[in-house]
Amino acid sequence: MSISNAPTTATPAGTASARQVVWQRRRAAFAGFCKEFSHHKAGMVGLIFLAVVIVAAALAPFIAPSRMLDVTQLLDSPRFAPPSWEHPLGTDHQGRELWVRMLWGAQVSLIVGFAATIMSMVIGTIMGIAAGHFTGWTGGLVMRIIDFFLVLPSLILAIVLSSVLSRGVLTIVIAIGLTSWAGTARVVRSQTLSVESRDYVERSRVLGAGHWHIIVKHLLPAVMPLVLANTTLTVGSAIISESTLSFLGLGDTTLQSWGTILKNAMDVSAATSGYWWYVLVPGIAIVLVVLAFTLVGRAVEQIVNPTLRSR
Amino acid sequence: MPDLKFENVSITYRTSGRNDRGEVPAVKGISLDLPAGGTLGVAGESGSGKSTLAMSALRLLPKSAKLSGRVMMGDTDVAELSFGKLRAVRWAEASIVFQGAMHSLNPVRTVGWQILEALELHITDKWKTEKARKERVKELLATVDLPAKKADSFPHELSGGQKQRAMIAMALACEPDIIIADEPTTALDVIVQKQILDMINQLVTERGISLLMISHDLSVLATACERIAVMRNGELVEVGPSYQICTDPKEPYTQQLAAAFPVIGDPASRMKPVTRREQTPRDPNAQTFAKSDEVLLQARGLNVTYHTGGHSLRAVNNVSLDLHRGEIMALVGQSGSGKSTLARTLLGLQAADGGSAVTFAGKALPTKGKALKDFRKEVQLVLQDPSAALNPKLSVYESVAEGLRVQRYQGDERARVKAALEEAELIPAEKYFGAIPQELSGGQRQRVVIAGALAVQPQMLIADEPVASLDASVRGEILSLLLDLRKNLGLTALVITHDLGLAWNIADTVAVMYQGEIVEQGPTEEVLLNPQHAYTKRLLAAAPSIEEARA
Repeated sequence: MSISNAPTTATPAGTASARQVVWQRRRAAFAGFCKEFSHHKAGMVGLIFLAVVIVAAALAPFIAPSRMLDVTQLLDSPRFAPPSWEHPLGTDHQGRELWVRMLWGAQVSLIVGFAATIMSMVIGTIMGIAAGHFTGWTGGLVMRIIDFFLVLPSLILAIVLSSVLSRGVLTIVIAIGLTSWAGTARVVRSQTLSVESRDYVERSRVLGAGHWHIIVKHLLPAVMPLVLANTTLTVGSAIISESTLSFLGLGDTTLQSWGTILKNAMDVSAATSGYWWYVLVPGIAIVLVVLAFTLVGRAVEQIVNPTLRSR
Repeated sequence: MPDLKFENVSITYRTSGRNDRGEVPAVKGISLDLPAGGTLGVAGESGSGKSTLAMSALRLLPKSAKLSGRVMMGDTDVAELSFGKLRAVRWAEASIVFQGAMHSLNPVRTVGWQILEALELHITDKWKTEKARKERVKELLATVDLPAKKADSFPHELSGGQKQRAMIAMALACEPDIIIADEPTTALDVIVQKQILDMINQLVTERGISLLMISHDLSVLATACERIAVMRNGELVEVGPSYQICTDPKEPYTQQLAAAFPVIGDPASRMKPVTRREQTPRDPNAQTFAKSDEVLLQARGLNVTYHTGGHSLRAVNNVSLDLHRGEIMALVGQSGSGKSTLARTLLGLQAADGGSAVTFAGKALPTKGKALKDFRKEVQLVLQDPSAALNPKLSVYESVAEGLRVQRYQGDERARVKAALEEAELIPAEKYFGAIPQELSGGQRQRVVIAGALAVQPQMLIADEPVASLDASVRGEILSLLLDLRKNLGLTALVITHDLGLAWNIADTVAVMYQGEIVEQGPTEEVLLNPQHAYTKRLLAAAPSIEEARA
């Protein structure tokens, strides 16, 4: 360790090597996590399924060019054709191939699912840590805000928000994000409270640390695994919310989404008229994707929380 | 009455998960026997396999444990019992007093209900009716000196000692022949410990119960057991009569364990904690510090009151204290005496009541802002449990550098961290930079905590039970480190403890705290050898000593 004897270069070089060690350990921990995840059968099934869906959705413009959705060019294709070799998943009331609509719909459903989840997680984590860390007046106020959002019927709030704001994907993201964070905040708060009472936070305080230092250095890393596991579970429910809002006609009608397909199906009374594929295909797709996210989420939860193992 | 016999017992744990270490042996080929009506103590440090061995007697080991050899209770092999038979044996023939009574009682049931539960599971002619069982609960509580009224109390309404008594009452419920007590007095303070030990002794002699007691403290075992077995790393080191093990041990390891707890009044251990650690060579010209006359920290009429839901509780009552530069003061008292509150107040973590005057180096204690942050550089805290005091996710380097970063240290951070680790005798410092707490032993972790405190170059350390959760062999090392820090750096220290031996080992002065007040203070020799206050005398009398075993 010749570097430590040269004070002029010691600080940057010194911390760099200590940091390298830290990064090495983080990489090793991540590799360990991946290895353990790969042994988790249900989690892997979910992950592979999701990977296929995400790749398919991303490649939608290449697999099925957008003209395949243009009603004006589909005048001679059959309407309500049942699934067959020619029409793998059947066609809808305007003669569009259902599989093309599903593919394009997957894009919107997944984007909304992820974006709304990220928004909900960011708000939930910040509010949860704030409610757990600050005591007295501030903490109480934050907690009341969380309680307020917790008891608010989120679907109704989402409906109100999306009818007040302009129509579009962003509106739906905001509507879902703003209404689904309270549960996360509560979970984060309880974890924060338990970490807050550990001795190392007290030690940090004695060293002179302020709120910012304690939150960033000690609380955030401790709640992160919990938040991550929660994220994958929330994506599923965000996709359901998106479908619900689109189904209720609050989405962007010019865009394909699984909820929109379900709404179209209801508009033409597909279920009662015997067009079963029109209802079942989007319905089962939603179930499968949400299930896949849940499987991945449970697997992550089990790995970051070893006490859940062998249950 | 059956004997309990371990015949060549080996136990291995199968590990899994991210830190898979394969098969870990916990107990290696141990043969021990506990004759009916006898008492046997098992001593050893944490990780020596003593609890694993005891749990195997009732087949209470987790599924991942594999046992070879035989555990015999009377003529039956415990491993061969069917589950139904095993249930009948558990509690009715042998029962366990678990470690940490606070966690072994169900918090949502009354104590009486929990004792009743054992009786209902093992109904005999003696307590066939509901009424007879209620009577039996009363009788049991009386046996352990608890008022019958306490049967309706919930565990949180009882003190630590009372909970431990309730646990013992529960263990006695079905009149077992064997009682296994796993660290029954750890986490209790000396006075309560003495009461519990006396009670166990009395029960054993009156009822002829066999007792298998586990502890890390030889002197505790010596007061309760006829024979002691010493374990280390899963192996048996030495077995023999208690008095011989404690006073004339054959094996060096036992000698070291026996020497770890000093005899108060023995000049050989005064200012000289027993340690394996070698003295670091020091520059003969370097300045040596000792207690000076300059007052560093002064408290006058210090009161601290807690207000909770309309009640107020005075935790610290009219305390006056002078701590001189370079002085090591031991603050001694029972749990609940207000020692920790006093320490937190001196650190500025807890607000004192109006009218209290605390000054540090002549200036009043700051309460907020920049002044408080600067004050943090001067006084540092070392906590009881080093595994809790270090963030498990941060490396040693980051933990030690934390204070420097918080204080925006302008100099060379790496050099300062290295120096601090070396002062805490983690040498070579570079080897420890990247380690995370779980890779270190308990003693090393405590050194990291001390290094983290030293990094900001404080003038004073407040140590709250710095060795209470460490093994006996590490205890001496940490204590002699504290002594050396004073000698080499002139560090002032306030050490909070319930252990008078510790005060005898390192402190210049002793302050005895009782119910929020300091009842006696003065030089260590004066207070410990010639106590004036009745409470100090009680504390001294309660300290377990090997001498008693002869009687």
